[in-house]
Amino acid sequence: MNDFLNIDEVRMRFGGLDALAGVSFAVEPGAVVGLIGPNGSGKTTLMNVISGVLQPTGGTVTFKGTRIADVPTHAVCRLGIARTFQVVKPFANLTVRENVAVGAMFGRAGRQRSTRASFERAQELLESVGLERVATRPASDLTIPDRKRLEVAKALALDPEVLLLDEVMAGLNATEVEAALELLREINRRGVTLIVVEHLMRAIMSISTHVVVLAEGRKIAAGSPAEVVRSPAVIEAYLGTRFAKRTAGEARP
Amino acid sequence: MTAGGMQRIGLGGITGDPRALAVSAAILLLFVFVPLLHNSYIENLCRGILMFATLSCGWNLIGGYAGYVSFGNVVFFGIGAYTTTMLWQHAHQQNLLLAVGLAMLIAALFALVLGVPILRLRGHYFAIATLGIALATAEIIAHFDWFGGGSGFPVRQLEWFSIYYYAMWIVCVASFAAAFAIARSKFGYGLTAIRENEEAAAVLGVDATRFKVAAWMVSAAMAAAAGAIFAGANGFIDSPTAFGLDDNVNPIVMALLGGVGTVAGPFVGALILTAINETLWSHFPQVHTLFFGAVIVLVVMFLPRGLLWLLGANTGWRGLAAALRMYRV
Repeated sequence: MNDFLNIDEVRMRFGGLDALAGVSFAVEPGAVVGLIGPNGSGKTTLMNVISGVLQPTGGTVTFKGTRIADVPTHAVCRLGIARTFQVVKPFANLTVRENVAVGAMFGRAGRQRSTRASFERAQELLESVGLERVATRPASDLTIPDRKRLEVAKALALDPEVLLLDEVMAGLNATEVEAALELLREINRRGVTLIVVEHLMRAIMSISTHVVVLAEGRKIAAGSPAEVVRSPAVIEAYLGTRFAKRTAGEARP
Repeated sequence: MTAGGMQRIGLGGITGDPRALAVSAAILLLFVFVPLLHNSYIENLCRGILMFATLSCGWNLIGGYAGYVSFGNVVFFGIGAYTTTMLWQHAHQQNLLLAVGLAMLIAALFALVLGVPILRLRGHYFAIATLGIALATAEIIAHFDWFGGGSGFPVRQLEWFSIYYYAMWIVCVASFAAAFAIARSKFGYGLTAIRENEEAAAVLGVDATRFKVAAWMVSAAMAAAAGAIFAGANGFIDSPTAFGLDDNVNPIVMALLGGVGTVAGPFVGALILTAINETLWSHFPQVHTLFFGAVIVLVVMFLPRGLLWLLGANTGWRGLAAALRMYRV
């Protein structure tokens, strides 16, 4: 427990399915938390709960003393929590720059920004994610990797303290992954706490300071990247029981 | 950043194509000279264009910008018409400015009271709810004698008849100026974001319910102002006149024809549709509604987003060819 971001016994039930069956962990300010787990383990559901898009059926998420569930979705970003969507949601008929400017207008610092200042801020962010060359194209023209970049720029436009990134590196090639990691490190250096959901193990292990592993809606391991990769529960969840026994056997002598 | 950098580039957008906007604004300003022609047919026709352009401009804020298709905006037009009528009937008050101001206020409050519950509905449900409200309001008014019941009330006209034309022109210019200002403001960007993806807009901090209700209130005020002037110019109001099907459907078709979600679209649509309607009416009086219906069907089939959306990054013949390909003509 800490007084920054606390996920406490969060449960989410969809019909007869427990997407989350009581997940708890605390996020330290300035951390990079990697959230991993097999498909269907509840990562995106947890992101939806933390960002206030879904109301949990049990447990609470508290950010600096405010329960996220008590705040309407549109006000969560003003608390300082921003997110990207795994299935990207660009405003297709707006230009790339306008997409980002909307975030700059209504986010945490939006009230102090004029429309013009919001556009200037959007342009800066597009440069930092490498989208300045397509700033005036409609968002519907973007390729999938560029749409992922746009999601990041939109979330950054909210001036977040905590940024939730849901598979922003999916579909990127090795060079692009390196660039994306460098961008995330730079964002983190500026003081933004990151919670990263990603399938690329090498990427997530290299950037995270702390890793939380979910499987079937439960937290099965947590700790530093090095600790987590050695955890038998994690190996079992990812590679199956037989493989876990074998690696355990090899490790013993 | 350059001025051009702030502008819409490429497809569609917040204010729409700047050339279309400039030409429309010039035509709209020239409309002020129409009464000097001293031709009552042309004056009535042009007042109709201004009225429908205003209604369409108001509808476009909620239907085009926020993407919430309202089939009930005629309610606000009717409220406007009845405000003038009631002021004359029950208070012997002919002050046009008072009627317009009061009508705008009542309609905006009505939109606020209705909007808070029904703007939570999305898509078709909102459209159906607004249609229900339009039909119910017309029925209720027709059953109260205080409102003139089924037979309606006459409205005493002002001596200087062209005042109704000038008033309609002012309301129309003010409506389009307001739409232009809204389209370039944070409010306009918020509405457009709601239309494009309401969930993504909420995550970016847009308070969707508040924005939609506010847009509908502005929309209502525009329709009510037009209705208040119409009542005076028409000289008689009953429920079918104030809540007419034409006054409900035409503004929507005009916005669709001209370009939904663009500032100039409703005006362009009002000009073209009125021209088509008048031509059909004078040449084919018996079957003109049939042709009119066919025009509506063609517009929806081939220009679902309106003429002004054809003026994008591709212009001229090349743009037209691209658009024709896009619509698989």
